[in-house]
Amino acid sequence: MPEITIALAKGRMQNQTLELLSRSGIRCDDEALRSRRLSIEDTTGRIRFIFVKPADVPVYVEHGTADCGVCGADVLMESEADVLQPLDLNIARCIIAVARLDRGSEDEMDTEIATVAHRINEAGMLRVATKYPRIARRHFLERGIPVEIIELSGSVELAPVLGLADCIVDLVETGRTLIENGLTTTETIAASSGRFIVNRVSYHLKSDIIAELLDNLAASVAEMNESEIKSTHAENHK
Amino acid sequence: MPELLSKIPPGMRYHSGREARLRRAIEDRVMSIFNEHNYEEIVTPGLDYYALFERGMGAEAASRAFRFADADGSLLALRPDVTSTLARAAATLFATRTRPLRLCYAANVWRANARSGAEWRREGKHLGCELIGARDESVTRTGSDIEMLSIVAAIIARLDLQDTCRITINNVGIFNGIAARLNLDTEGRERVRRLIDARDSSGVQNFLTAHTDDTQDCAEFGRLVRMTGRDEMFAAGRRIITNEQSVRALDELEAVWRGIASHELNRCFEIDFGDTSELDYYTGTVIKIYIAGAGTRAGNGGRYDDLIKLFGQSETAIGFMFDLDALTDALRKESGVRSQESE
Repeated sequence: MPEITIALAKGRMQNQTLELLSRSGIRCDDEALRSRRLSIEDTTGRIRFIFVKPADVPVYVEHGTADCGVCGADVLMESEADVLQPLDLNIARCIIAVARLDRGSEDEMDTEIATVAHRINEAGMLRVATKYPRIARRHFLERGIPVEIIELSGSVELAPVLGLADCIVDLVETGRTLIENGLTTTETIAASSGRFIVNRVSYHLKSDIIAELLDNLAASVAEMNESEIKSTHAENHK
Repeated sequence: MPELLSKIPPGMRYHSGREARLRRAIEDRVMSIFNEHNYEEIVTPGLDYYALFERGMGAEAASRAFRFADADGSLLALRPDVTSTLARAAATLFATRTRPLRLCYAANVWRANARSGAEWRREGKHLGCELIGARDESVTRTGSDIEMLSIVAAIIARLDLQDTCRITINNVGIFNGIAARLNLDTEGRERVRRLIDARDSSGVQNFLTAHTDDTQDCAEFGRLVRMTGRDEMFAAGRRIITNEQSVRALDELEAVWRGIASHELNRCFEIDFGDTSELDYYTGTVIKIYIAGAGTRAGNGGRYDDLIKLFGQSETAIGFMFDLDALTDALRKESGVRSQESE
């Protein structure tokens, strides 16, 4: 019987998380990883991993079905789940940003998004397409800009191009998708990266193994950051 | 049957059979412990003026109450919390009674919780007690804190939950002292409080680094809020927490800790400097109760010396409550495991 259950976000974050864990001495059988099983144990049998959709990680952890989890800060902001976030893993770094059609030199005229909103949409209502309705609504309401949120589940970049929305709120990693679709970022809402999250009850009842895990992971994160700094230095000296 | 008649509002449920019997048994056991400690049962109104809860719990917590208008237009609420109603009674109905007042209750509470959260239930039952107006002899006024914690320990023992339970204690003065020393405004205070409450070490460290010069201390404090532990926590805390108000709170916490240790009650207890929830309500010791299998927090409490003052009479007060649903969940899973083992 495994001591704890960790929920991992399937997709791009999964491999980076598993790499960090393996630096910390926690490894999974390659065969198990290649299989399509959604629940596997590490080689010691102490830890069970479950693989779920990113947005479901905080759900499993808040309810205590999983003791811990790894998901992006964007997912946490959107879910508003009541979980502990003791460690920033510094993986899958990106920003949550507002983007709209790149109109070249015209842009210098209006840096204020409110005026843009007004000019684009005469109803005075900014139409925002996004996968993050809560983050988007909170961001614009804090600035007193009335918004109509259009919730999409993918290819959000298309919305301003086809006139479905005035702008989008989305994750931006390299910015390439934006550029290729003729969009440009106008505002950064928040920085995001992979977070290690813990259920409030598990944090206290399984404190020994969780503290051990946190210490090991923190050391691996520091090690990884260090090697990254070194390699950037090397790049710069080339 | 038409849907309108068959459906149940979100967050509400029936309890029946083995579960209903278990709830009854747990409630009886907890109330019998209050009774053994000379706590008198009080039944408070289930429907009350919203203004009472707004003052008693603070606007944010009270906003989760179900509200509606009385025939004369005044705003009523279904009781979201029992303590406010007891605090008012202490200052009015029981104003002339001999102190200390020892009151206990088993009462339903209603909160408009979000449907999808872990705390999806909208009706719950709180089993709790309050010690009001105790004049503690010792300078550090730890007598009533220790009385409360020993009742918590007695309940845990009576329910046979010692092995699956963790009770954390902290003193809100530690955080308040740090916030005061950093000269934080309301917004900044709330931000760092949330970061600490989420045990976000790097977030806490980054926030503090922007507010003071001592980066070494910031890193250490970031780590400190992530730690829970026992005796060793005091030495760790004293190494970096040096402002007068926080040190006084640390002294008080240590006195309470030694108090329960000397009665050998501290087996399930831990110190948790990261517990910074509901700060505006509490004024000293705070308690959180965690039980395996109970999903959300199974109970909480603390010292709230400023609450009764709101109703006109200034006196000390401390109390805690257990959530009956959480206790039932924990014991049902527990007995399930046990019956499996015996098979």
